[in-house]
Formats: sequence, structure tokens, C-alpha cells
Amino acid sequence: MVRVLIVDDAAFMRKLLKNILFTGGFDIAGEAENGKQAVELYKQLKPDIVTMDIVMPEMNGIEALKEIRKIDPNAKVVMCTAVGQEQMVKTAIKLGAKGYIVKPFQASKVIEELKRVAEL
Amino acid sequence: MSEKLLLKVPVEVFEGGNWIKTEAAIYSSYIQLGKKEIQFKQIRDLEYSYLNDQEAVKILADSEYYINFGKYQKQVFRFLAFNLKADKFAVYFISPAIRGGVIVSNAKWEKGYLAITENALWFLSPNKQVRIALEYLGSVGKEKRSVGGKQRVVLKLTHVDNNEVIVSYVLCPETTLEMLEQYINQLIEQQKPKEKLSEIEEQVLTMIYSGVDSSSIESILGISTEELNKIYDKLINLGLARLVKIRKEVELTPRGVSFVDDIMKKAVR
Repeated sequence: MVRVLIVDDAAFMRKLLKNILFTGGFDIAGEAENGKQAVELYKQLKPDIVTMDIVMPEMNGIEALKEIRKIDPNAKVVMCTAVGQEQMVKTAIKLGAKGYIVKPFQASKVIEELKRVAEL
Repeated sequence: MSEKLLLKVPVEVFEGGNWIKTEAAIYSSYIQLGKKEIQFKQIRDLEYSYLNDQEAVKILADSEYYINFGKYQKQVFRFLAFNLKADKFAVYFISPAIRGGVIVSNAKWEKGYLAITENALWFLSPNKQVRIALEYLGSVGKEKRSVGGKQRVVLKLTHVDNNEVIVSYVLCPETTLEMLEQYINQLIEQQKPKEKLSEIEEQVLTMIYSGVDSSSIESILGISTEELNKIYDKLINLGLARLVKIRKEVELTPRGVSFVDDIMKKAVR
């Protein structure tokens, strides 16, 4: 089963994603509430995919993506973006993000994108 | 009236619960429908509609008309859309640019109009007549985008279609853009519920959008069925949601319990 690390500073968003991914047949490897924690957990948990919020305290999603890609150049990171953050998504894709999902999430789109990234 | 006749076409008009065959004559400023005349300047709204298994053009003018123009339906619809009683602005637009969070790959700028009627906002071009009911408008704001290699300020409009969030863009001179932003913002404000939602109500709304079922919403938010039902009622009353299914909660009768007992006994035999 594909293991996902969920990174978002909003507990509600983490719970929502957890529910969507669990229902879609993914395994939840762990949760982080900022970029710094995400990098640490990535080292420990070695998840197959990371869903990464962009705007977060301590370390934002773009910085965390860079750090994770340093640790693992093949890391599969999917950016979670809000409408209006298209520019940041473009930057993230250039930095090696494998995909993006837009808030508010629609379960079917999230599952579709993560399956695409996981090559399922 | 002595006007140029543009098209004469057999149509079906919905009247008194039945489809009645008649003829429509379309002139440059009105439609002659039997003895009735529908002036274009009276047409306040227009949309495709299904009635008694027939696709029709619903025209809101001095009264409501449902007309099936047969094979000319699209052609007439396009003509009427361009002649609606509306505030019209010459613009370039992309609609949809983003659908459900995914960039529409073949989306491109089109030259046309942004028309605003009392019920809807329209993107009009020879190829496209997109009607967005005012209650489906979400937000409007300015954004910088690269257009033809130059950074330009465009108007970004979010709206809903088939339960998906759509983003459309409008490009026009900046003074018009400012005015349009204010105008559309006013329309959006008028549609918004007067009452504010609490954090938990906003979360429930978000989860419904995401497709999370009621049991999962209760478990994610740690609330009871009764609490969730109250929130649902509020969302329905505010026009933010509609009831599609009433959930049944049951408990077993003694007969049901005895039945389960039998099932278990069968399983261990």
C-alpha cells in the first residue's frame, strides 16, 4: 500500500486529507504541521508520497520540498495549494514537485492525482 | 413593425402543460411567436432547460417562455445571448481556465463580451456563450498574469459549475477592470448569506464539498449526529446546501436479535 506523509499546519485539513486518502486506499505514514517537521519525518518514515501545504509557519512548503529533494532526489511531493497560488505551484514544479492538488479538495481529484504520482 | 426577417422556423412552445407546435419568426429586434412578440430588450435571462423530456430555451422576458427551436436551438440561443438586456463590456476572456483545480489544457483567450444581466453573468464569443448564474459566483479579484509575453493585470473570477470550482480570467483596459471588479463584487455580496458561519460550520461545508460522508464528518469533527443535523439544517436554510437523502438509523427488534443469533449459530455449525 502506498504510504503518504501529510503536511499541513491546519489540523482540520490534515484530518480531511487523511480521511480522503484512507478511503482511497492509501496508507497514512504520518502527519506534520510545518515544513521543518516534514523534513524530519521524511527522514524517519521514508513515505512513498508527501502531500505538502505551501503556506506554513517555521518552514514553508517550498523550502521543505527543497530539503526533502536534497535528502531524496526521487521524492514524490504533491503540493497542496489554494486558488491564487499558481505562481508558487509553478516554482514548486520547477523544484521537482510531482503534482499539485487545489484547496478546497474534491476527494476524486485528490485520489486521481496521488494515484498518478504513485504510478498506480 | 417592418424589420428584416432573419429566420422563420417551426418551434414547439410549452403552454398550459403541453408542447404546442407553432412557428417562430426572428427579426432583428424581436421574436414573433404566433400573435406574441418578444422584444429582445425585454429578455432579462436565457438558459437551456429540460421540460417534459424536451430540451428548450427558457426565455425570461415579460413572462417565462420555454421554446424548442429544434435544429436551430444553438444558433438561436447564441443570437439571443448576444441580444440580451444586459450591461455589456468588450473584453478578452478565458472560461474555464481552471476546472476543479486542474488547468484546462486547451484554454485560450477569446475576444468577446462580458455581459451582466439581473440573474447571471455571461461570457460571450462567437464560439462560446457561458452563463454563470449570480448565485454560482464565488469571488472576484485582480491578478497578474503573463499575456502574450507581457505581465498584465487581469480579473480572476471563481464560480461553480457542476459542483466544481471554475476559474475564469478577463482581460480589458485597467479602468474597466477596476469598475468590473467592484460591480461583480457587489453582485457577489448580494448573494452571500447575511448570517456568518462558525468555524465548525465552515469545516462541515468544506467536507461536504470534498465528498466526505456524514459518518466521517462526525468522526473527523468529533460531533454527534444531532449536532451535525443541526448544522445541515442551517446550511440548507441559508441556501448553501440541499437535502438529497435522509439517513435512517435503526435498532434491532427482539425478532431481529433472534435472527442474528440464528445466523451466528449457522456460522459455527
